[in-house]
Amino acid sequence: MGTSIVGLGMTELGRVYGRSPRRLAADAVRLAAADAGLALADLDGLLVSHGLGGSPGIELADTLGLRDLRMLSLVNSFGATAGAMVSYAAMSVLNGSATTVACVFADAPLKPRQSAGSAYDRGARGGTGGAPGKAEWYGFGGMTAALGLRSVNSHYALAAQRHMARYGTTSEQLGAIAVATRKWAAGNPLAQMREPITIEDHQRSRWVSEPLHLLDCCLVSNGAVAVIVTSADRARDLARPPVHLWGWGQGHPGDRKERGSDFGLTTGAAASGAAAMKMAGVTPADVDVCELYDCYTYTVLVTLEDYGFCAKGEGGAFAASGALGPGGSLPTNTGGGQLSAYYMWGMTPLSEAVIQARGDGGERQAPSTDVILVSGNGGILDHHSTLVVSPHEKGA
Amino acid sequence: MDVGVLRRDGRTDPFFDGTAAGRLVVRRCEACDRWFAPDASGCPGCGEEDLGWAEASGAATLVTWTVLPKEPPVFLALVELAEGPWLHARLDGVERADLREGLALRAEFEHPDEGESYVLFRPWTERGSVR
Repeated sequence: MGTSIVGLGMTELGRVYGRSPRRLAADAVRLAAADAGLALADLDGLLVSHGLGGSPGIELADTLGLRDLRMLSLVNSFGATAGAMVSYAAMSVLNGSATTVACVFADAPLKPRQSAGSAYDRGARGGTGGAPGKAEWYGFGGMTAALGLRSVNSHYALAAQRHMARYGTTSEQLGAIAVATRKWAAGNPLAQMREPITIEDHQRSRWVSEPLHLLDCCLVSNGAVAVIVTSADRARDLARPPVHLWGWGQGHPGDRKERGSDFGLTTGAAASGAAAMKMAGVTPADVDVCELYDCYTYTVLVTLEDYGFCAKGEGGAFAASGALGPGGSLPTNTGGGQLSAYYMWGMTPLSEAVIQARGDGGERQAPSTDVILVSGNGGILDHHSTLVVSPHEKGA
Repeated sequence: MDVGVLRRDGRTDPFFDGTAAGRLVVRRCEACDRWFAPDASGCPGCGEEDLGWAEASGAATLVTWTVLPKEPPVFLALVELAEGPWLHARLDGVERADLREGLALRAEFEHPDEGESYVLFRPWTERGSVR
């Protein structure tokens, strides 16, 4: 018996205001059920996750009027959550503890008239208790923030710079990822950023935290995305072509910040990808499309290396070869990813994988989608999940 | 880039007692002979949650860095203390051309008129600070 994704629900994404995370999540689950041709009453499992804008809570079940659920939980592995939720749903279906499980992510960090950057600037913030206009900072963490380390951007910049120093990776090579991703976004009506960009545009975009330019960094979006997982047997009778789950994995290396750490050089993708591909019975050579978590261009580069699409240290050259864009040998982030389309954490790559596996990609449809690799990444490259999905039943 | 005013939070007071006296005081697990950053919550080796404090040498090496687009530029880094732990830190007295993995650094201390003293890391040779 196999398992499949049978429903995909996506609310409006981006600068969508006036709906709470719970309302957005409820809307996405309703859309996913309708997409699958299921009634909400057919759901017997609900897994809920969230970004920084507040959690829908397991009260989401009540909001949806779901009764007699056999599985209901919040799940949180940061950016690795979407893949983790789907794997827990699939395992529950396989062992009989649930039959039809909705997995939903919602986030609403953006507020009207607020910059995207400030929505995610979560460093310890200076208070205003001292002299007028003079920020106060508390403790050792406050000192670090006061000295300038206030943003996730800087933490990823530290990671990318380490790779650059060790392997000679360049900003232009990161730019090749931004450019390829934007080319894909041009074909996605849901993408927030569709104007073509060049390497020169990337190089001229302002520094956020060297070596990362603005065009190395993802968007911030409000909205919600849900998928529904059930058995492959049941999936055959539903409304849309099933997207079969061939394998899954996770990797949480637990790198401590101390002598000998691989921080920034190797991530949980190495263990997670190997586990998922082994379960699926595939190797990187079998993969037709990658949908990778791209909070930063660098995340894509290091994930490609850790998955084994190129040797360690050669991710920059691989990206610059043109492999990732339309017409390339490894179509990657075919909907424009988090860099150019929408930032729904791990649901961004997963939603595009479902769209591609169904053949719904329109002008951005990849030429071959027999094996699609989906990644999730959380923390500062601390947590990783992988899914292998296909339009075909495993072994068929 | 204005640093603002640093205050104690009650959890890292020995660190700020140290910076006031020009000493780098960090966490240490005696039982496991392991050193940690001042904000470490415990020792993963033995589970001790109430780690002791000990004075580090102040010698460090550069692991990786990032530059904030300020005027003048702000150099932030991960530095590896000679005792092993990494600290998120700000570099002082450096230019882009100086930056490389393994660059020898030394803790130096700033004593503002208001608020707690803090630590910066500067390039260092056997003969002393480079600049």
